[in-house]
Amino acid sequence: MRNRLPATLRRILWASGTLASVALALLSGDASALPLFARQTGQNCLACHAGGQFPELTPYGRMFKMTGYTIGERTKVPLSVMGVLTAARVADTSKSDAPQDDFQKNGVPQFATGSLFLGGKVTDNIGAFAQVTYDNYFTNSKGYFQGHSNADNIDLRYADRFVDNQRDVIFGLSVNNNPSVSDPWNSAPAWMQYVPASSTTSHQFADPNSPYPGFGSGGNVAGVSAYVFWNKTLYAELGTYTTANRGFSFMSAGIEDAATTKLKGGNNPYWRLALSHEWGAQNIMVGATGMTAHVFDGTTDPSDSGAYNRIRNTGVDAQYQYLLDPHTITAQVAYMRQVTDYSANTLAGASSFVQADGATPVAAFNPSDTTNIFRAKLSYVYQAKYGGSLSYFNLRGTTNTLNQSSGFDPCFAAGAPGAGSAPISTDADATQGCAPSTRVTGNLSGNPATNGMTYEVFWLPVQYVRVGAQYTAYHKFNGATDNYDGFGRNARDNNTLFLYVWGAY
Amino acid sequence: MKHGHSILLVLSVAASAGCANVDRSRDLANPAVPGKVLAVQVCSNCHGVDGNSVSPAFPRLAEQQKDYIVAQLKNFRAHHRSDPAGSEYMWGLSRSLTDKQIDELADYFSTQKERPNVHADDALAAAGKDIFENGVPSQKVIACASCHGPKAQGIGAFPRLAEQHGDYIVKQLDIFQNTQGRPGTPMEFVVHPLTGSNKNAVAAYLQNLTE
Repeated sequence: MRNRLPATLRRILWASGTLASVALALLSGDASALPLFARQTGQNCLACHAGGQFPELTPYGRMFKMTGYTIGERTKVPLSVMGVLTAARVADTSKSDAPQDDFQKNGVPQFATGSLFLGGKVTDNIGAFAQVTYDNYFTNSKGYFQGHSNADNIDLRYADRFVDNQRDVIFGLSVNNNPSVSDPWNSAPAWMQYVPASSTTSHQFADPNSPYPGFGSGGNVAGVSAYVFWNKTLYAELGTYTTANRGFSFMSAGIEDAATTKLKGGNNPYWRLALSHEWGAQNIMVGATGMTAHVFDGTTDPSDSGAYNRIRNTGVDAQYQYLLDPHTITAQVAYMRQVTDYSANTLAGASSFVQADGATPVAAFNPSDTTNIFRAKLSYVYQAKYGGSLSYFNLRGTTNTLNQSSGFDPCFAAGAPGAGSAPISTDADATQGCAPSTRVTGNLSGNPATNGMTYEVFWLPVQYVRVGAQYTAYHKFNGATDNYDGFGRNARDNNTLFLYVWGAY
Repeated sequence: MKHGHSILLVLSVAASAGCANVDRSRDLANPAVPGKVLAVQVCSNCHGVDGNSVSPAFPRLAEQQKDYIVAQLKNFRAHHRSDPAGSEYMWGLSRSLTDKQIDELADYFSTQKERPNVHADDALAAAGKDIFENGVPSQKVIACASCHGPKAQGIGAFPRLAEQHGDYIVKQLDIFQNTQGRPGTPMEFVVHPLTGSNKNAVAAYLQNLTE
């Protein structure tokens, strides 16, 4: 395995280089060929994106967003496209029953996703940001890859601004499909994670899929929020979300009904408070956020009121930026606490796993779980061209047998067929299928604790292309440093090298 | 669904109300929007609503000479000024401005009140004062004050420099000295002999200079 790494790395680097060159050749021919918002304002990407590292916003970029994407001129063709080429390589693929399934296309460069953006200025007060994403490796119901498109982030806005030498008040409404997608700061859950990853399982441990603060409702729901930004100092936003169906089905378009997040009613409130201050070339934001969502547990019937988990999120976050050519420095910290009260239907069940003796049942499900995710990121960009970042993530939480996806199988109890041979097994058939465990992604402890670091370097050869490499190293995964899945897989086996070429036009 | 309808209703009302809002518009291609409106709705995002920008990445415009602001905006619009920051930020914003809007914008910022800037190092500023008032005779650098005025208040097309961000001054001097990004001014000849420490000193003096 070790001998093959350099060859694979060479292949990845060669492919990335070739793709970057092609992208450069295609894109650099037309100086006016800039994405949607840049065409609208006529400005360079770095006017709105800190050091050019999209999607992180500068103070001006935040004002552009808060004033409803209405600065500039309405464009004739309000479209942009984005494409992401990626390759990911997981450190150890040997501890798996089916590496071809657990680490699909490991180390193989691939066209991962493409997005179409529609939006920009509509009127003096209305603007839009709507993204449709094509997933080149969507797994269909038969288990095969196929290309598939669905609604991604959508943020439709109405905004007005009253400003003179005495006051500066921006207020607006956002109709959106992802809590905090309306947020102007990049330590908000919808924006802290940035590089899109491929859906192939070789990418399942890459940084985009490592723990990030988020809301229990997830995306592709439908909500409306009202916000105000007072004297460039105090930001407040209040909203509520509901299921993205019927009139709002465009917000979950392309996602099959079974996979659509279903919320109970329209009382799933979201709030955000932030204090912002700018001095010299620096600015800082300190904020708090929260949401209470009643999320369908996916078990039985959505009309059954006992089928909804109540998920309460409370978070604090902060962002610091230093922006003065040629330096861009950003520090972000975010902490999110999530308390999940499980639905009656969920708690009516019981774990199939048993204790090590093969007979004693494991503890009953806890009625609720608490998780705490902390994430910190420090990044630096020089001349809006060369950059690097360092991230630390730490997910901690309560232990619950409900979270176990690996465990001792009662079919191996004394006297049963095959007794004692392999008390933790993925094999459902040979042992009458009592409680098969999951390799690679399994959780033996019932505890979600996962932590590690991500190291990144990137290069912006032109303002709308970013080429990067991330290495994510895990210290703990699914509650353990060693043997987290019950089959000997260790957290460090999931360490992943992730390469990407990310362009927009 | 009831929520869906009410949200769509609110949006359509907002949409119909928002079509023409020239008093608070951020439309840079509508000649009907007064320059003052664009100044507070758009320019203020970087330059400050009263022209006293917070970040040294963006020049202060308060009390700037009106003729100078007009000339620079027209230079951006015509792409005569091609320094990186100028072209990256200003070409697009100025591309559809009318002469009337430019005149109104310049009028607005030139009549704002300049506020004291962050205090720069006094020793550096003292060295800068000497250069500003007397030039550097040994290097044949003429006194800045001879064109920009004794208090760096500027006159006509010669810009006000008092209380300007030092970092911005240094970057502009670098552009005049090393590039053709801002052609058509005497500055490229004037600054030619200046050393890095000369530039830092005079920038510190100007940042501290109050009338």
